[in-house]
Amino acid sequence: MRRHTSLQLVCGLLVLCFPLLIQAAEIFPYAYKIEQLENGLKVVSIPLENPHIISFYTIVRSGSRNEIEPGKSGFAHFFEHMMFKGTKTVPREAYDEYLTRLGAGTNGYTTDDFTCYFTVFAGQENLEEVVRTEADRFINLYYDEEMLKTEAPVIEGEYYASASNPARRIHELMRDTAFELHSYKHTTLGYLKDIQDMPNQFAYSQIYNKRFYAPDNIILLVVGDFAHDSLMALVKQHYGGWKKSDYTLVTPVEPPQKAPKRAHYDWPSVTLPLLAIGFRGPAYSGNELDKAALDLLAQTFFSRSAPLYQKLVIEEQKCASFYASFPDRRDPYLLTFNAVVKQNKELDYVEEEIFKEIERAQQDLVQDKFLAEVKSNIKYSFAEALGTTDGVAGSLAFYISLAEDPGTINQLFALYERVTPQVMRDMAKKYFTRANSTVVTLSGGGSQ
Amino acid sequence: MRKIIILFTVVVFGCGLLSISCARRNPDRLSTELLPVEGSPLVGFRIMLHFGSAHDPEGQEGIGALMLSMLAAAGSRSMTFQEITQAFYPMAAGVGLQMDKEMATITGTIHMDNLEPYYAIFKTMLLEPGFREEDFIRLKTNQLDFLEKTLVGNLDEQFGKEILNNMMYEGHPYGHNENGTLESVRGLSLADVKDYYTKRFQQGNITIGLVGGYPADLPDRVREDFAVLPEGHVPQLMLPAQRKPEGLEIVVADKQTPATAISMGFPVSLSRADDDFFALWIAGSYFGEHRQHLSHLFQKIREERGQNYGDYAYIEHFIQGRDKFPDTNYCRQQQYFSIWIRPLANSNRHFVLRQALRELKILVDEGIPEERFLLTRQYLLNYTRLYAQTLQERLGWQMDSQYYGHDDFLAEAQERLAAVTLEEVNAAIRKHLNYENLYIAVITQNAQTFQEVLVANTPSPITYANPNMPKEILDEDLLIQGFPLDVIPEKVRVVPASGFFLGKGIPEVRK
Repeated sequence: MRRHTSLQLVCGLLVLCFPLLIQAAEIFPYAYKIEQLENGLKVVSIPLENPHIISFYTIVRSGSRNEIEPGKSGFAHFFEHMMFKGTKTVPREAYDEYLTRLGAGTNGYTTDDFTCYFTVFAGQENLEEVVRTEADRFINLYYDEEMLKTEAPVIEGEYYASASNPARRIHELMRDTAFELHSYKHTTLGYLKDIQDMPNQFAYSQIYNKRFYAPDNIILLVVGDFAHDSLMALVKQHYGGWKKSDYTLVTPVEPPQKAPKRAHYDWPSVTLPLLAIGFRGPAYSGNELDKAALDLLAQTFFSRSAPLYQKLVIEEQKCASFYASFPDRRDPYLLTFNAVVKQNKELDYVEEEIFKEIERAQQDLVQDKFLAEVKSNIKYSFAEALGTTDGVAGSLAFYISLAEDPGTINQLFALYERVTPQVMRDMAKKYFTRANSTVVTLSGGGSQ
Repeated sequence: MRKIIILFTVVVFGCGLLSISCARRNPDRLSTELLPVEGSPLVGFRIMLHFGSAHDPEGQEGIGALMLSMLAAAGSRSMTFQEITQAFYPMAAGVGLQMDKEMATITGTIHMDNLEPYYAIFKTMLLEPGFREEDFIRLKTNQLDFLEKTLVGNLDEQFGKEILNNMMYEGHPYGHNENGTLESVRGLSLADVKDYYTKRFQQGNITIGLVGGYPADLPDRVREDFAVLPEGHVPQLMLPAQRKPEGLEIVVADKQTPATAISMGFPVSLSRADDDFFALWIAGSYFGEHRQHLSHLFQKIREERGQNYGDYAYIEHFIQGRDKFPDTNYCRQQQYFSIWIRPLANSNRHFVLRQALRELKILVDEGIPEERFLLTRQYLLNYTRLYAQTLQERLGWQMDSQYYGHDDFLAEAQERLAAVTLEEVNAAIRKHLNYENLYIAVITQNAQTFQEVLVANTPSPITYANPNMPKEILDEDLLIQGFPLDVIPEKVRVVPASGFFLGKGIPEVRK
């Protein structure tokens, strides 16, 4: 029996201090510190008594939201790929070797609003090297035009990797139909024609780097086994000389939708048909009630325990699955109701049933008991996600990108508490109008 | 909200009986695997079932999956499924199910606040299933739709892996998808499923796993509850030897698709229970660590040439869990080596297939360079320390350790990997890997044309967006584009994609 190996030390104390009685405590229970360097770089640190593991996240406010110029869709994501090309002092091969030696869980991902780079590693002794190496690659990124031309087709490959998935297609179609001006019109992957033009975008990539990969547009989030002061000393040493960008992004303002919209896609292969009904909704807010109320409304009427789910999925079995989606975004976004329908001929019926349910939401008050269950569900769902060091960092990255302060989570959950059945009904009337709706469908040949 | 997840993952192989020690004192009684974590506010249930799709009776393929979904995603005797979902909802709770060839796992994680009401429902779902007709129709339809529409129409990468499985295991108990075949599932009745539950839900087929901050009396209570099941067990499967490919055996699924998906591999005769495993693990990690820059294939195909999103290799059956780490409880007696080429432009399919096989040849002929060996070994020593972070992951690894006869596999890996030498790695490569005999599954369009160029060994040059590609890459490309593949016409089967999963194996060749 081997009882004292490093692995067991890693795992032995993986109990984070999230609340034992969840209903009685603030949902985000960890102490945190926020510091800002003179160049604008913000650092959010959450030391945890959790041996060995450290999650080091760099959150760049660069996403499809930033792609405001024609022909540049997908560029934030493309630039994420370029960020792994290294620097003159630590070229790509050396950077890969460093990550390999570290044995880190590492990657990047791009969303509508931000790009996140993370390195999850074991051992406090590696923190200095991680801070130094990450600072170097962000401040001194170097690639030439040929490297960019070689990387660009990888994006096309990424596009192909999910090309057989109709869920991606209907998502693209929904956004393209629902938005007219705002850069949320395209997905983070971008339009295929823009992806295919990426090899020619070397000059623009340099502009993009200067605009957005600068300390005043970046937040470091560090969670795990380290001391705050030691971290800050390293951050100041390695990031302190980085120059600001001072660029101000002005995203196009989407005009109000005035009439219902509709689109359809013929899938070339067999598939279960898909339906999505979208309503333009508000941006994320830690202060305004609208978004919080719509979150609860979506759960109340379209979660697994909601009557319509029970009817369409369990009783009548018209749908294979059914769910609402309303991600938090910096600018006003879309609340969508999504259904995987079992047969093409049922698409109209399912659409009618969803609109009928929406009318009920505008007329009837939800029972207090049911609203309390929805609030409970949201709390427990979030609490479970905080069960590991990287769970804390991963969950927090989204909120940091939105509000730069973990405290926004507690503000959001306080807003949830203020939502009443009356507020929900008012919001349903305000947002769920036919004129504000977009319906998209997708069907193939094999579902009749 | 946690969803009720039915994870029917893809499959694979292996051969050679393992000595499986499940720490079960009496093979006809329940066993338990406990991992108390003092202070944790969460409790995880992990019920491992010692049977999988390979135990499905002939002609009833998919019955195990359907029976288990009738437990995890259907009503109990006392509650309808609607009532269960409504009761679980405020707790943000659910029941997860994963199934593989020789085992299945039912899971649930719950906050301590809700432990008692959750467990009260959880246990009745497993011990007093409702077996209602309406649940049966719903779940059977889902299973058929998955095979007929989703797998063939929406998931080319997984489709490719399933074809590879079916090629490797034709005529073998591993040879069908966990969800069965369209023909077999259509023939299943509710009575069949109830009968199968009675046969399989015997105490000896079950290991009860508990993890987290559960109260001290919970293990005994769970044991007592599950003791209502009859004693008995299903003997471990005596699997036939795996059929090794003879030359390059290729199946091309013909489908209108903008991109080509490729999976290839062959059975290997080793598992985590073997000494060679640790040496071959380093080789596999060097050659194709899952979704990591470390992967040599990734470097050659994606990083140097931008051909696709990624290229990886595996020395055992691999299912991705949280993040990119391997998931647990997919243990098998027989294993296989595989290469996963992510979708790429149809125009480059021949070149990249050649490139992957050429790289495999170089690996087998020349082994691993010493500096890469040292680096990869260091990588695995660190990376594996991140594997078991959540409660369910920790218990899952503990259960896998039991299966393969380790006290603690990840702990042992720290010692065993550190002791592996370069000579051992290269010897393991030569012993277990080869580049001449492989099963290759391809999903592409104009499959007939592809078959013709494969057989004719037509050169397959590619072009780049970058007009100034480094000379060493262009020089190597000349070697790749003419790299001979020994493909004979009789070994290439072209099949319409829509023909798969009606029955077992590979559909009849189109003439």
